[in-house]
Amino acid sequence: MLLLQLLLQGLQTGALYALTAAGFALIFGATRIFHFAHGTAFTLAGYVFLFGFTGGLPWWAAALCGIAVATLFGIAMERLVYRPIQRHEGSFFTVFVAAFGVAVVVQNLIGMLAGRGFASVDTELSRASEVLPEVFLAPVFWIAIGVAVALFAALSAFLTRHPAGVALRALAQNPDLIRTYGLSSNRLSVLAFALGSALAAPAAILTAMTSGLNEAIGHHAMLISIAATIVGGVGSLRGAALAGLMLGVAESLALAVVDTQWAEGVSFFVLFAFIIFRPSGIFGVVQTR
Amino acid sequence: MIAYLMNLATIVAIFGILAATLNFIIGFAGIFSVAHAVFFGLGAYAGAQVALLLVPDALLACLVGAAIAGGLSLCLALPALRVRGEYFVAASLGLQMMAATLFAEVKPLTGGIGGLVGIPRPTLLGVQIGVLPVAVAALALILFLTARLQRGAFGRTLQSIRDAESAAEALGKNVAAAKTLAVAFACAGAGIAGALFALHLSFVNVESFTMDQSVLVMAMVIIGGTGTLWGPIIGAVILLSLPAGLAFLPFIPATEVGAVQQIIYGLAMTLLMIFRPAGLVGDLSKGRSTA
Repeated sequence: MLLLQLLLQGLQTGALYALTAAGFALIFGATRIFHFAHGTAFTLAGYVFLFGFTGGLPWWAAALCGIAVATLFGIAMERLVYRPIQRHEGSFFTVFVAAFGVAVVVQNLIGMLAGRGFASVDTELSRASEVLPEVFLAPVFWIAIGVAVALFAALSAFLTRHPAGVALRALAQNPDLIRTYGLSSNRLSVLAFALGSALAAPAAILTAMTSGLNEAIGHHAMLISIAATIVGGVGSLRGAALAGLMLGVAESLALAVVDTQWAEGVSFFVLFAFIIFRPSGIFGVVQTR
Repeated sequence: MIAYLMNLATIVAIFGILAATLNFIIGFAGIFSVAHAVFFGLGAYAGAQVALLLVPDALLACLVGAAIAGGLSLCLALPALRVRGEYFVAASLGLQMMAATLFAEVKPLTGGIGGLVGIPRPTLLGVQIGVLPVAVAALALILFLTARLQRGAFGRTLQSIRDAESAAEALGKNVAAAKTLAVAFACAGAGIAGALFALHLSFVNVESFTMDQSVLVMAMVIIGGTGTLWGPIIGAVILLSLPAGLAFLPFIPATEVGAVQQIIYGLAMTLLMIFRPAGLVGDLSKGRSTA
């Protein structure tokens, strides 16, 4: 029964990881920018929701505020940080350092404003009840799974049917050809950042309701996204989502054997193993880097 | 006041070593490690254990710290041989997170969260000394070695690997050996810095070897200027005098000094990358060579 409990717990965490990672993979796939401040969008969304909800807003308004802030943050990063750097041929390291600087600033601002340590939203939804003998589930489990499935369905419909979605996939494959067709690659990369950052927001909001937030959680969200993107295979949105789910389940199942403080280590161990033995990931084509 | 300045100077020298060695792999070899605090920590724990269990000899502690950090640098060299760019940064981030967990959990060796306490004052050949002269000597040695290596054949090989790996390989350079050696040199330097740090504070715990510390050292290198000899030292001086300077500003509460310091260097990193990617000391026209 313990294993089943851990598996369900892992599925819940994994669904949230999958959403965050898919946002990261979408941005990286379309723009080739390794968005190291992706975790910051996650943190911002979580804290805005937390403040809105405890400040008396209805839950949907607080959630919308969180999503809006994450989206705006993504757009601002693209316009104000990545665009100027790429104008003067930014190397990947320049981009990384700039994004990391932003992450450090936001993390400390949140620490100063919201206080350090864990904060969470307590609702009816996060109270667990016994569904099977010795297996406890909170309603938020079904919400997490439902939201993840619904968003993935919407996202894949958008990427395959909507013209802008198709253009995003085209941008990933050949930016020059996109310009030849008269589409603006700048506008498309803003779209990629907006969508990708918005995808992190529901995960952040649900995390605020389950395990809670702290000011450094952005690092964790970012590392999981990177790990999932690399393990899944760069350029594959489905791979990133699946790998995120797997990492969540693996972290949770590992608890049957080791103590909680090692759980995070499991993800990095998997990442490390993949980087050394199969850098192209599960679904990736072999690249020479 | 003298004691305060001595303390600051020692810390600057120790972080100068860290920044200089990190700069060696980032600036010359193009290996963008975000795990430098791991090797700093390995050196610190090794040095502390030597002082606690054997003799508090500064030289011995440094040598053991360097040997252990240099030996375990294979953990960093291995991914560096396999992947480049973003992938390597991701691998080193993972290494940093795993090492922080290990430092906190392997209690027999590291003392866990509580750390190792009561490390005796250092001696050199039986005479009790301060850490400052040793740290300054080590920094001078590292800078001298860096300058020599940079101009010599080894440095040229590294720079050619950084700029065009396949070309270097085509010219018959042993890329794997050069990278492994560069990483081992830098990590051994970080190990020396760690051993000195442990002897100086006579207390170490995992708090000093987390990702925040790695980022601080990286910020020193970047703000000063990657690929320059003096840039990292200047970065270290600036970033370490920042908390002291901020403490004199009355409107910042003492508990927030650390956060304000991080905000300042975070902002500095972002703005520098947008407007002056080569750093304060770096030559703007050479900005692209750090790619």
